[in-house]
Amino acid sequence: MKKIGVFVCHCGRNISATVNINKVVEEIKKYPGVVFCTDYQYMCSDPGQDLIKKNIKDKKLDGIVIAACSPSLHELTFRNTAEKAGLNPYLTEIANIREQCSWVHSDIKEATPKAISIIESIIEKAKLNESLSPVKVKVNPKALVIGGGIAGIQASLDIANSGHKVILIEKSPSIGGHMAQLSETFPTLDCSQCILTPKMVEVFQHENINLYVYSELEEISGSVGNFKIKIRRKASYVDNSKCTGCGVCSEKCPVSVDSEFDEGMGKRKAIYTPFPQAVPNKPVIDKENCTYFLKDGKCGVCQVVCTLNAIDFKQKDEIIEEEVGAVVVATGYELYPMKNMLEYGAGEYPDVINGLQFERLLSASGPTQGEIHRPSDNKIPKRIAFISCVGSRDPEHHLPYCSKICCMYMVKHALLYKEHVPDGEAIVFSIDIRTSGKDYEEFLTRAKEEGNILYIRGKPARIIKQGNDLVVWCINTLTGKQLRVKCDMVVLSMSMVPSSGALDLAKALRIHTNDFGFFTEAHPKLRPVESLVPGFYLAGTAQGPKDIPDTVSQASGAAAKVLTLFSSDEISHSPIIASVDEDLCSGCGICITTCPYDAREMDERKKIVSVNEILCEGCGACISACPSGASQQKNLTDIQIDNMISVLLRSNAKALEREC
Amino acid sequence: MKDKKNLTTEINPEIRDILIEMGAEDIYKCYQCGKCTSACPWFQVEIYDYPVFKFSLETALGAVASSEDKKELDKEIELIYRCVGCEACLEQCPHGISTPNILRAARRLLVDFDSYPETLKSIVQKTHNVGNPFGEHRENRADWAKGLNVPDFQQGIEYLYFPCCLPAYETRNQKVAQATVGILQKCEVSFGILGVKETCCGEVIRRIGAENIFEEVTKANIKEFKDSGVKKVLVTSPHCFTTFKNEYPDFGADFEVLHTTQYFSHLIDTGKLKLNKSFDKKVVYHDPCTLGRKNNIYEEPRNILKNIPGLEFLEVENFNRNLSLCCGAGSGGLWLEWEKDERIVNVRLKQLMDTGADIIAVACPYCLQMFEETLKSMDVDIIVMDISEIIFECL
Ligand SMILES: Cc1cc2nc3c(=O)[nH]c(=O)nc-3n(C[C@H](O)[C@H](O)[C@H](O)COP(=O)(O)OP(=O)(O)OC[C@H]3O[C@@H](n4cnc5c(N)ncnc54)[C@H](O)[C@@H]3O)c2cc1C
Ligand code: SF4
Ligand code: SF4
Repeated sequence: MKKIGVFVCHCGRNISATVNINKVVEEIKKYPGVVFCTDYQYMCSDPGQDLIKKNIKDKKLDGIVIAACSPSLHELTFRNTAEKAGLNPYLTEIANIREQCSWVHSDIKEATPKAISIIESIIEKAKLNESLSPVKVKVNPKALVIGGGIAGIQASLDIANSGHKVILIEKSPSIGGHMAQLSETFPTLDCSQCILTPKMVEVFQHENINLYVYSELEEISGSVGNFKIKIRRKASYVDNSKCTGCGVCSEKCPVSVDSEFDEGMGKRKAIYTPFPQAVPNKPVIDKENCTYFLKDGKCGVCQVVCTLNAIDFKQKDEIIEEEVGAVVVATGYELYPMKNMLEYGAGEYPDVINGLQFERLLSASGPTQGEIHRPSDNKIPKRIAFISCVGSRDPEHHLPYCSKICCMYMVKHALLYKEHVPDGEAIVFSIDIRTSGKDYEEFLTRAKEEGNILYIRGKPARIIKQGNDLVVWCINTLTGKQLRVKCDMVVLSMSMVPSSGALDLAKALRIHTNDFGFFTEAHPKLRPVESLVPGFYLAGTAQGPKDIPDTVSQASGAAAKVLTLFSSDEISHSPIIASVDEDLCSGCGICITTCPYDAREMDERKKIVSVNEILCEGCGACISACPSGASQQKNLTDIQIDNMISVLLRSNAKALEREC
Repeated sequence: MKDKKNLTTEINPEIRDILIEMGAEDIYKCYQCGKCTSACPWFQVEIYDYPVFKFSLETALGAVASSEDKKELDKEIELIYRCVGCEACLEQCPHGISTPNILRAARRLLVDFDSYPETLKSIVQKTHNVGNPFGEHRENRADWAKGLNVPDFQQGIEYLYFPCCLPAYETRNQKVAQATVGILQKCEVSFGILGVKETCCGEVIRRIGAENIFEEVTKANIKEFKDSGVKKVLVTSPHCFTTFKNEYPDFGADFEVLHTTQYFSHLIDTGKLKLNKSFDKKVVYHDPCTLGRKNNIYEEPRNILKNIPGLEFLEVENFNRNLSLCCGAGSGGLWLEWEKDERIVNVRLKQLMDTGADIIAVACPYCLQMFEETLKSMDVDIIVMDISEIIFECL
């Protein structure tokens, strides 16, 4: 029989005010198996820990129970204490008599017997605990970054610059993300491309970064430190080893479709690079629109004009297998679809456009070379309405959250419009203009003072198309007056939503998202760049709406977390995991389907199942699923749980008789 | 002090709490965006400013009608009774605030103090006394059905057909009830009517704010339905529909309700209602607020019309389905007179006529009445018909 020692903490008055400590010690001393019991003011203090260490040695204890606060606070502290005294740390148990007892009771007569019961049940657990040692896992110091927007770019560069390998995958033909589409950026109005392109090129040329564009994650298995991944590289039908990016193919291609990069404001060919500064600067063939694929080998003009023979219609998707130790999710955002806004024309009025479309019109390298022409008839719009909070802050019909950046880009748009069309009139319709960022309010003030922009407080209910004009119906809530404002064009500040495919990705990675599909951080304040699942880190707008400065900060934060992981060769993993009793296992395999971490494998020769100790997270799902009782959680076996429950029931009955 | 105008509104928590109790619980959700105000039909009556966005805030102060000046007070009461309950505001409010419910709370208070428009007082009285808002005799309630062989409802009959007050008494609307009966008979549907035992559903008096009388009427109707063994009710009026379906259950009702457009659309889809004759007209459909916005019935009426041979179906551009404009008759509006250039119905009729339609199809007795009465004074060719009448012509 084990020799158990019990140490009861007062936690100042936190415990002792509601639990009669003397009574507890007196009762526990009598409990079978307990060879020593004492109490102390603050067990976690140095003298408290010394008391524990001394008694482990003196009394030759081979199991201890600390009756104190929640194990989430000091389990680790006390395990370390035990280890210092030569006791295996996993022989230490915590009986939580604070959160689960003293704090939730006011009557000492009720709390004291309950504390005794809790301690007794934990003693039962301690009696059958075994010495364990942590599972050591080697860390593969290579990172996967998903998404090549500014978030993914920054995270990749930070990790790569500290000497670690990075695999960066981007689903579109070029990295850059939405930042590449922007004209000038608030609050400083520097040209977006000018500050972004050098970083894109740096990624491309970095010896530590392996870039896969036009690629997506196909499969992932494993856990922190050791993931196995498969990447699907979509066929681009261009042999990049031959292509020099001269662009003749795109020039000659007869098919023209709406450009995704220009948000439908301009055209691209079926063989295309999304924009001139694309990285890598190699075209891809969009199979859906290519005549060669649509009409069984007809056309092929690109193949004819390419003197380097780089066009390869036979190219197939490629699956690339890789191994990494950590994953950064940086899949970014999209805009809420305008088709959801029935009252604003449901995306069907050509001159009602969203913010990104307006960015493309403003951009010097955009489809109109930075001149503002409205889509319907190319006319220069002389009055533009900018409407804020479209889709955002509307819990009833759309999205409850504030998208954070729309106010700022709206103000920027109005200001830039006035710069492009000085005799034009910019009218901003908003509920309030939120400028929570460094230098943002100053930017707004400047825009107000210099821009000659009309600000109207009110959310329009309708945009009505009348011939070539658009009429915005609104009321000015400050004056109470009705407004029917005739405009040439309307720009809707649509809210940010996660990029399409974020939910599927979350499922594949087995990490969480919130109700709207933004990836959820481990703690909203203290762990904003980690996912709850070890090994996954979050960067940029994939986690929630934000501007470029916040995106970049978060990306660097995520990179720092990855580097912390990579700073040691090994990480240890709790040994409180599942095990299989080979004699009892019938090989039914139910646990294999139950395990959410792929930690179960069938040994085909023995016809029984084994546990991959590295992958097992100790969630216990397999243990309750196993019909033969072969699956057991280490140090939390069925027998231990049974004993704990019996004691609780028994001592509850006893407590009724006890005088406390 | 008394004759000086008091410019300060004091917060009156007592009135506010009473209003919240009476159904204005949404007031604190309002963030003053004003979207409701340009969504409201009164916005489309261009000469008139209707401050919908203020109602939440002012109610929260307990100051919906707060003036001490009689004339001012009358104006405030008028504002409270302008609302036609069309829910165009609710349809767009980002916080799902029901301004008509807030105003209904204010109306309840005004009714309790007997300070509401005289015309409306009279219809509340009449409904209370004789079971219909027109003060018509109870024993004439089934006159519309004379000679049509319509059985009285009794145990074993499947549907109770409930035409309600306008189709029961008003000559133009009676044709709708008669057409409905014709269709039901043609399709051999088992149905009957309550006849002289029928009483108004109470919708309009509830919207006016006469909550107590509404409750009385409702309880009596529920008892009558229960005693007669009614399980399924077929209604012509969306107003009966919404009251029976969404409000009666709070008072213990337990029966199924179908609007005629739902039922006829179903009969067409299952081949039981055959439309043989061609109807070679251009028809525009006007969505009744109570059928559409309030009960999401947009497709069935359209399905019927699109199935009619020869009929060319038109929509009002920009103002159809959930963005449709009210006829102006709801929540007592049918009985209130506004200046000629201050009427919602004129705006709506213009939208409908601009489509170039020959016929305006409606699915609500209030809309029918409102349009017919207004068209009388206009020199135009357009005709208003209930969908049931169009079907009846095509049998
Ligand atoms: C109209 C408008 C104007 C703006 N103006 C400014 C401004 O002036 N100043 C400012 O600070 N901010 C501005 N912003 C905000 C700015 O765009 C964002 O903060 C920034 O671009 C976010 O970068 P990101 O990397 O998180 O996301 P993104 O730019 O969206 O990048 C995500 C990348 O991931 C890729 N991806 C997505 N899913 C996958 C997948 N499953 N696999 C592989 N790759 C995937 C995407 O293709 C994309 O390239 C503006 C935003 C808008 C809408
Ligand atoms: S739309 Fe809703 S939130 Fe906006 S002002 Fe009207 S009631 Fe208030
Ligand atoms: S219910 Fe209709 S009439 Fe009443 S305030 Fe709302 S939109 Fe205006």
